[in-house]
Amino acid sequence: MTTTNIIETRGLGKRFGERPAVIDLNLTVPRACAFGFLGHNGAGKTTLIRMLLGLTSPDAGEMRIAGRPVPQDRAVVLQRVGAIVEEPHFHAHLTGRENLRVAAAARGPAARGRIEPALRRVGLSDRGDDRVGTYSQGMRQRLGVARCLLADPELLILDEPMNGLDPGGILELRTMIAGLTDEGRTVFLSSHLLDEVEKTCNAAAVIDRGRIIAQGPISELLRDQRAELDIDCADGRTALDLLDSHPSVAAAQRTPDGVRVTPVGADGAAAINARLVGAGIAVSRLQPVHDSLERRFLELTSSVGDAS
Amino acid sequence: MTAAIAWEMVSVEVLRLRRNRALMAFAGVLSIVVIALFFGYSALQHASDPAHHAPAGGSHGFGHAVKALGLYFGALTAMLIGTEAGTADVASGVFRDLVATGRSRLALFAVRAPAAIAVSLAVNAVAFAVTLGATFLLAGGTATPSASLILQSAGWIALCDVILAALAVGVGSLTGSRSVTLTAVIGWQMVATMLLMNVRSLGSVRDGLLTASLGQLMPVPGDVGIRVGTGVAILVMAAWLIVPAAGGAWRTCRRDA
Repeated sequence: MTTTNIIETRGLGKRFGERPAVIDLNLTVPRACAFGFLGHNGAGKTTLIRMLLGLTSPDAGEMRIAGRPVPQDRAVVLQRVGAIVEEPHFHAHLTGRENLRVAAAARGPAARGRIEPALRRVGLSDRGDDRVGTYSQGMRQRLGVARCLLADPELLILDEPMNGLDPGGILELRTMIAGLTDEGRTVFLSSHLLDEVEKTCNAAAVIDRGRIIAQGPISELLRDQRAELDIDCADGRTALDLLDSHPSVAAAQRTPDGVRVTPVGADGAAAINARLVGAGIAVSRLQPVHDSLERRFLELTSSVGDAS
Repeated sequence: MTAAIAWEMVSVEVLRLRRNRALMAFAGVLSIVVIALFFGYSALQHASDPAHHAPAGGSHGFGHAVKALGLYFGALTAMLIGTEAGTADVASGVFRDLVATGRSRLALFAVRAPAAIAVSLAVNAVAFAVTLGATFLLAGGTATPSASLILQSAGWIALCDVILAALAVGVGSLTGSRSVTLTAVIGWQMVATMLLMNVRSLGSVRDGLLTASLGQLMPVPGDVGIRVGTGVAILVMAAWLIVPAAGGAWRTCRRDA
């Protein structure tokens, strides 16, 4: 295990009674990136996060954060880790600033000096003296991020941080995460909002039923997806009949605006277009289907389901 | 953990308790308001029928008020505040976030009792000040307590506060539930103990009751119905201080956050 990776796990396992929550989990998270951690509800995302933070103990395997073993060196390691697990909790009767003081007291004297900068960074300076009980869910999420920043973190672990945020809040958080990674920090982001992970993260891992089934840079995760073309045309039925048996087409199906085809070979799109135009079918749009993480995620997780 | 960090952690724990307006209001009502009502009502009785009712203040009123503060109303305040200190982190979910800072769970537990004791002592100090004021202002020419008795009484009330607040912190940390802790601690101390002290067939088993030991050290006239030796009383109080604290510390260290 090397320190070029901020998180490394090997053979990690955890059971709750008879039910395995995490099975032989090997995860590598490189430093200074936004890393998405994807999985269905109950797939094992939060269990892994809780084990990393020492909130619950693994039954097998080993974990390292910043090259140090946890839970053995947990106290030292977590000094530079900020985390929101599931959702940030606060004392509702205290103000935002006082809640940060509670967390700063546990972290040590340096953290207290970071309260004001952290509040400024999440845009809560003006509301810092209001009781948290009056905060919206989005403001609590931002205060949770501010609490993470008290650690001057090398690693931020954010569990579903987009929950409760409006579109403006999501955009702000995305910008903030980009800023944090630009500073050399690592953001480990667990989310079910796949589109957001795709927009926010450089790399990701997919967990399904306690096992990591894919991990790597987002571009690599999407690379092996088959290319498809959406073709908008005037007569979709005739177009489908023409293309169904065409040698440049591996598969074809009707869509509301025309057909979707899987071309064969690099010049498949040109051949398909020529065939349609030659048959007198006007093609108004021919566009590659966007490789989405959501689609890839569903393919990966459903294939695991099929296998079992 | 350095002394500076420990001090700051206790300070924010005190802040967290005293900022809880509902808690402080109930604590104030249970000790300060009740003592004020006790002297006010006694003063009215004396004013309306001096032949049958002694002056509210003086040594007589002081003794009643000290006993009420140490064993009943001030004790309720201490248990209420101790329960809040012992359970709030877990009940609010903040415990998880504090554990995630890397600070040891034992340290997170250890700061609760000093904070609860400090807040409890502050509230009951105000109640004791009201007691002293009323004792002298409403003495009506009767004898007043000596400085020595006043100091001993203040110390005894503080002792009751310390033990009961720490007991509630320990049980609260063990259960993690306000309602269960309040029911258990107040139910045991205020109801079950009072019943058990009257069951003579239990014999010396009753010496293990905390109220019997606290009563033994009470500096003002009167008793709680059971006499125990001072040495036994000290051992019993130590046990009531240590056992719940050990249980609370163990559970805090083992609890899944």
